[in-house]
Amino acid sequence: MNRYTVINPHTKFTVINTHVHNVDGIAKVTGRATYTFDVVLPGMLYGKILRSPHAHAKIKSIDYSKAMALHGVKAVATGKDTLGAKQGIWRRYKDLCDEQLLTVDKVRYIGEPVAAVAAVTEEIAEKALELIEVDYEVLEGVYEPLDAIKKEAPEIHEGFERNINVTRHIEWGDVDEGFAEADYIREDWFRCGGQAHMCMETRAAVSSYTPDGKLTIYHSNQSPYYMQGLMAGVMGMREGDIRVISPYVGGGFGGKFELDGAIFATAVLSKKCMRPVKIVFTREEDFIASKRRTPMFYYSRTGVKKDGTLLCREAKVFTNGGAYTGMGATALYLTGFFHSFPYVWQKGYRYDGYRVYTNTLPSTSMRGFGAPQAMWCSEQQIEWIAADLKLDPIEMRRKNSHYEGYEVPGQATIASCGINQCYDEIKKWIASKGKLPKGHAIGLSACGFMSGGIFNWFDTPYSFSSAVVTINMDGTVELNVGAQDIGQGSNTTMAIICAETLGCKIEDVKVHSGDTDYNPADLGAWGSRQTLMSGNAVKRAAEDAKKQLLEFAYAQSGLNIIYDLDIKDRWVHSISRPERGSDYVDLVRKALRGKSGQRIMGRGFYTPYRKGMISPAYSYMLQGVEVEVDEETGKIRLCDSMTAHDCGQPINHLGLIGQLEGAFSMAAGYGYLEYMPYEDGKLMNPNLVDYHMIRAPEMPPANIAEIDTYEPEGPYGAKEAGEGLTNPTAAAIGNALFKLYGIQMKECPIKPEMVVNALKEKKAKGK
Amino acid sequence: MSVSGPIICPVCGKKAKTGSAIDCARHMFGTGDKPHRQWVDAQGLSFIDLMIEQATTPGNKSYQILADVIEKDAEKRQKGK
Repeated sequence: MNRYTVINPHTKFTVINTHVHNVDGIAKVTGRATYTFDVVLPGMLYGKILRSPHAHAKIKSIDYSKAMALHGVKAVATGKDTLGAKQGIWRRYKDLCDEQLLTVDKVRYIGEPVAAVAAVTEEIAEKALELIEVDYEVLEGVYEPLDAIKKEAPEIHEGFERNINVTRHIEWGDVDEGFAEADYIREDWFRCGGQAHMCMETRAAVSSYTPDGKLTIYHSNQSPYYMQGLMAGVMGMREGDIRVISPYVGGGFGGKFELDGAIFATAVLSKKCMRPVKIVFTREEDFIASKRRTPMFYYSRTGVKKDGTLLCREAKVFTNGGAYTGMGATALYLTGFFHSFPYVWQKGYRYDGYRVYTNTLPSTSMRGFGAPQAMWCSEQQIEWIAADLKLDPIEMRRKNSHYEGYEVPGQATIASCGINQCYDEIKKWIASKGKLPKGHAIGLSACGFMSGGIFNWFDTPYSFSSAVVTINMDGTVELNVGAQDIGQGSNTTMAIICAETLGCKIEDVKVHSGDTDYNPADLGAWGSRQTLMSGNAVKRAAEDAKKQLLEFAYAQSGLNIIYDLDIKDRWVHSISRPERGSDYVDLVRKALRGKSGQRIMGRGFYTPYRKGMISPAYSYMLQGVEVEVDEETGKIRLCDSMTAHDCGQPINHLGLIGQLEGAFSMAAGYGYLEYMPYEDGKLMNPNLVDYHMIRAPEMPPANIAEIDTYEPEGPYGAKEAGEGLTNPTAAAIGNALFKLYGIQMKECPIKPEMVVNALKEKKAKGK
Repeated sequence: MSVSGPIICPVCGKKAKTGSAIDCARHMFGTGDKPHRQWVDAQGLSFIDLMIEQATTPGNKSYQILADVIEKDAEKRQKGK
């Protein structure tokens, strides 16, 4: 049983942080929720994608005449049926828009879409793929970034010398002076693997192009607005002529806010045959032809005083970018930024990141956005330094940690920070466990994370988040948001903020999201942005509507102007004399009459201004993981865990618990189970038998101490929850092994054979 | 002789952060487009080799090498005025 404790709870709210179940929970548990997978349209065809068997090859010709002759096949599309537009989510920077979703003349990874078929059944479409003849000229491939930067390496994209895709540099202070002053310097090389997003719902789309030149797309994604904008680019259409509907989404984890083969191929095929077309990726396709967490090589050098004061750090990172940019450029910056977290570097910090193209599956954002890799390296190195200097690792972390009001030079301002209490809570937990059984140890890891990104690489002219609140005559509320619920409970969070602000009940609010025709633009669900950014937009929209309502309440109350009115729990009242008031629904009716029958409508938006380079707010956390190891097999078992987490003011504690537990399971998988081995560009385990996600019996208790702080930029003081916790676990597992045996694990995930080898090596050294 | 006033990028005319030569070097690496690369190569250096040197060895040597070249170029241009 997991323990959940709250430190510094606030009780001033009527809806926020009360026991609210997901607003779409009943639809989901009764199977009524319609996912893209479930969508069936009249006359719909089924599509399949032919994928490259080569990691690097030129396409000399494609002959699909035999496929077209197969009974039941209605259309075949290749890159030649498209505009050939190179696209990417970094659309402000054309160089980084490098991917054709149906390639025209070259393939750069195994699994890249080459052609697509639409047929009356999935089976016929599958059979037709076998009849397509592609003549390839196979080229030499390169699969690792340190090979790809060599002079003799093959060129993957024209004009990208030594296959360097993007570089990022972060620097503040005087790092060299810091090293000169340091009493102790430690340098380490680390390697971090990739990870599959592994959404329960694989990539899926249904597109319907109609003769009036309009395109309607049902699609499983994290941002309908991004999909609309990107599809307009690749189809040569206006955004307004494309409607993207994403009613329920079975997980995203950072892998579903770029275009995928399903959305593009269905749209191209539908336009070709003027019928709706559906494609659902198989699990294997999702593995080999979507994107993945970015594998990284990390060099980290840290200078400290002998009392543990952190002076400076220098980091150099190569990332395996795979064949295309995707969101990798952002991950490259963020990993460098979070490698400094959550510490103050007295003299300076310097980071150089290099994203390198290889002939492997493109890497991109994934829950944690570069930070899990950064923390895996940083938090182990911090632990080793503490041991080298014979210092208490918690106290060493504490004395160097961020604090309220700290400015990360040129990057960020920390307006709220509860990390000190996180240290206290974890210390209490460790003490409460007493003496651990033989062969057990607790590893620790601290970290912080952003609450939405400030970046506008998409080049949107719209506000980052928008919301519209409309009040019906019976007091029910229509809340239209562009925020996207991908299973994380965003609709519930938005409903809670709306009900709390407006003063109605949670059941009065109906949330409309996931449809670009009816909801305002919003950048969507990524980088832990929605609670803070979309939440602010919802709060402002509800405040706007409430202000209009209260104008009528003031007019009819006859109260002295010095008295303020408010609405809480459907009760319109004077704040100083709450017993005096009237019913909210009566007020709505009167207001409706007063507005000539027009419904009250409030609008709100949010775009962060003057909030630094990265994010308006940061969460903080410290995690402890108790680990046991089978020394003979090297197998790791997680026995217990405790996370102390500062997420500002929680909006929905049930949702928060779900998010923290979910993030922990994903982070644990990254730490010791999930890995993606490639041989000559081919993924060797693209199925759920060989790819080992953490399973229920392997999950330890996920205890949580929620540290409530107040973030001034967040709605009601809220900030990030649920993504940041993907960051610390891998390092915490590594640190437990270090505590147990003194072995230093430098490759993630930690596989059993690595543990066995490290133990053998240690034993040999001892002899 | 040292350059009086801030150093501006010899390619795009931008003043990078503090206006120091090292900031200008960072700007050139960070921008990394064709004109910036060509300028570095025209100084007898190799943009890509400097970048890989920066990536694979500790310290800040490549930025420093480029900063020295930028500073010399700025001095030359100032003299020429």
